[in-house]
Amino acid sequence: MNNRKRIVWILNNLIWFLLLLVVLLFALLSDRFFMPMNLTNILLHSTVLGILVVGQSFVLITGNFDLSSESTLGLSALLGAWLILPKGAPTFGGGLLLSPYIGIVAILLIGLAIGWFNGFLITRLKMNNFIVTLAMLLMVRGVMMPITAGNTMARLPDEFKFLGAASFGPIPVAVIAMVIAFAVGYIILQFRPFGRSLYAVGGSPDAALAAGIDPDRRIRQAYLISGVLAAVAGLMLAGRSGVIVQNMGKGDIFEVMAACVIGGISLNGGRGSMFGAFGGVLLLSTINSGLSLLRISTFWIEIASGLIILIAMLIDSQKIRYISSQVVPLTKLEKKPSAEAVSGD
Amino acid sequence: MVASDSPFVVQMQDIVKMFPGVRALDHVNFELKPGELRSLVGKNGAGKSTLMNVLAGIYQPEEGKIYVNGQLIHPMTTERARQLGIAFVHQHSQLVPALSIAENIFLGNPLTGGSGFMAWKRLNDEARKRLNTLGLEIDVERKVEDLTVAEKQIIEIAKALFANAHTIILDEATAPLPKDEVNMLFDFVRRQSQQGVAFVYISHYIEEVFELCEVVTVMRDGQIVGDYKVANLDQAELIRLISGTRVEQFHRESRNGSGKTVLEIHGLNRPGFYQDIDLVIHEGEVLGLTGLEGCGKANLARGLYCLEPLGKGQVVLNGKPYHPDEPEAALDAGVAYLPRDRHGMGIVGMRPVGENVTFSILKRLTSRFGLLDTGRERKHILSFVEKLGIKTPSVNQPVEFLSGGNQQKVVFAKLVSAEPRVLFLDEPTQGVDVQAKVEIMKIIDQLSRQGVSSVIVSEEIREMLDVCDRILVMYNGAIVAEFKVGDPNFAAEKILMAVEGEREAL
Repeated sequence: MNNRKRIVWILNNLIWFLLLLVVLLFALLSDRFFMPMNLTNILLHSTVLGILVVGQSFVLITGNFDLSSESTLGLSALLGAWLILPKGAPTFGGGLLLSPYIGIVAILLIGLAIGWFNGFLITRLKMNNFIVTLAMLLMVRGVMMPITAGNTMARLPDEFKFLGAASFGPIPVAVIAMVIAFAVGYIILQFRPFGRSLYAVGGSPDAALAAGIDPDRRIRQAYLISGVLAAVAGLMLAGRSGVIVQNMGKGDIFEVMAACVIGGISLNGGRGSMFGAFGGVLLLSTINSGLSLLRISTFWIEIASGLIILIAMLIDSQKIRYISSQVVPLTKLEKKPSAEAVSGD
Repeated sequence: MVASDSPFVVQMQDIVKMFPGVRALDHVNFELKPGELRSLVGKNGAGKSTLMNVLAGIYQPEEGKIYVNGQLIHPMTTERARQLGIAFVHQHSQLVPALSIAENIFLGNPLTGGSGFMAWKRLNDEARKRLNTLGLEIDVERKVEDLTVAEKQIIEIAKALFANAHTIILDEATAPLPKDEVNMLFDFVRRQSQQGVAFVYISHYIEEVFELCEVVTVMRDGQIVGDYKVANLDQAELIRLISGTRVEQFHRESRNGSGKTVLEIHGLNRPGFYQDIDLVIHEGEVLGLTGLEGCGKANLARGLYCLEPLGKGQVVLNGKPYHPDEPEAALDAGVAYLPRDRHGMGIVGMRPVGENVTFSILKRLTSRFGLLDTGRERKHILSFVEKLGIKTPSVNQPVEFLSGGNQQKVVFAKLVSAEPRVLFLDEPTQGVDVQAKVEIMKIIDQLSRQGVSSVIVSEEIREMLDVCDRILVMYNGAIVAEFKVGDPNFAAEKILMAVEGEREAL
């Protein structure tokens, strides 16, 4: 019995063992891997992905997708900057010259607005979440183009760059923000009635409804969270790169989904934890950084990422098979509490 | 098929099937004659499904022999079982829902008429003709998803017969079927058995065993208890054989409590579902609400819990108007509902037992900063697991791995956690074994002693007689009869007559 529990525990925390394995492997292959520079870099490059993953996890646990978050990231940062930057080259702003703080608030509001609209279409108009957010992914990205006529916005103010570029001593603000986001996300999912009810919604919306939980309201709230965190990720990425380009964040959604899935968040809803998702983010960033450290061409990095997803899924399906094959039937349990049995009925 | 002298179409000898640590089948012998209608009963885990899975080649036994038409078959595989004419019709339909009946019948064997395109007319004509030979007049162009559960089972049996099956294992749906559907299915099964097709009917509903079969095989703990002629048995005797111990038939000491009114309904109307409903529920009362499928009884219960529109009328709970707009508000006002569809609405199968108990009361278990007090939550869960006798290896076990009866107790724990004044219980004993049924009745009784009223919405009249203070009968959306405990009319036959709409019963 104890043995069984240990196996299940290892299976549930496999992501951290994988991470350890990958770290050891890279450390053996490259003596530069353990240099502080490199470790900070890994963390720094996981921040934007991490913030997106926190938001996405809320939506995935309710059994929905938010494919639009990478576009939300782009549009919110672009519009926020547009409000505060002067017209013409090289800033390409709107010439409104508003305070950077108003710009930051605007960024968050745009994220909320897109999240609200997603939730509205999905729960009120009963449209399919995959298609709705896919359409939003395209539309929101498309809206970015005419605003700056395709130009790159530069010279962002320092307030704007604080989240992405500043650091406290050796620790970048972005890393602190990501860790806080995961910690708060963890607390909400484990210890807030709201977070816990998301699992019921994802596990069985009808059962949630019958238990006095309004699944549609929870789904709308999850999209709001995803939207606003995508906007935060946009501010962070803008700060880090110092400029805003048309295709910022483009294609990130694949990495977001990969990190979530590797971290054990079920795409069918109802399963997964922030802790695992954090591991997923770190694993992906470590692989990316390690492979580039070894000067391996990018196509290998992409193949490796795809492979990792497949391996994670394989482990997950085998885990569920293992756990359900180890179920002790209760009629037998009464008589022989120690029997490790499987029932056929 | 090989002709033989064996009087048995199927013979299983000394079958032993081991699962890690458990002898799921312990030297089981099972025989079946052509055209026989055999019922196979037993508690969950007794081994009945395992035995049939061995026969159908899904499980390989460790020991024992299987003969089909007198010929030793080793090993039995699903492929061989199918070739030899053994078909397993599972609880959950194996038909493709989006395709028509005709398409399903010819699935994997499409009639293209040589043109490479579907020959729709020929397909439909051929399907109709084949079904006619079985005495079925069905619109073959209907989609399978629009069929009732019984109709789907009939189509599956028909499909098996077209593939020359002579032995059909029928795993009964966990949810009770409406009476007319059951009749339709049983008529069909009886006719086929007269043609020489043998049926094994794995059943949970004892009444149906008595209706359909001549011989019932009882299993317990992986062994055959015996084969019994249904004619020589009564229900109590069969229940005793299934459970192994003499289950005391639960009889509730009737007390009507304080007689204080808790819920009052006046002139409630929902066109198309029910009309002019007047109803008073007293504190601690156990009220039965019965009637045919579609009489409006379930809609009324679901309406009062905001899962359906309630319609127009006056509803008063504890002296205050009761107008909740969503289940959460109903729960806060003191009304709880146990859904009929346990898997779909009662439990969140993949989540642990503990979470399922507290889902509806999370708000009440918070302390500082609105965070859950997990210590208090755990105490709450453990106390309910103990109080209701939920058997689970751990409160972290996903509910889907518990037995039906224990799952239902988890749902009860969830409802009772919310401290309701009135409980609506839609078919509370469905899909649970006999012992769990008695335990559920005891829970209802205990709640009643604490002043909680229960409304049991059910077609299981015999069970309701054991526990209810009062039984109301609905017919076509109206309450047509009332039976009180102690009345000479408080009897199954009288209530059944009212259920069927015979007014003389009153």
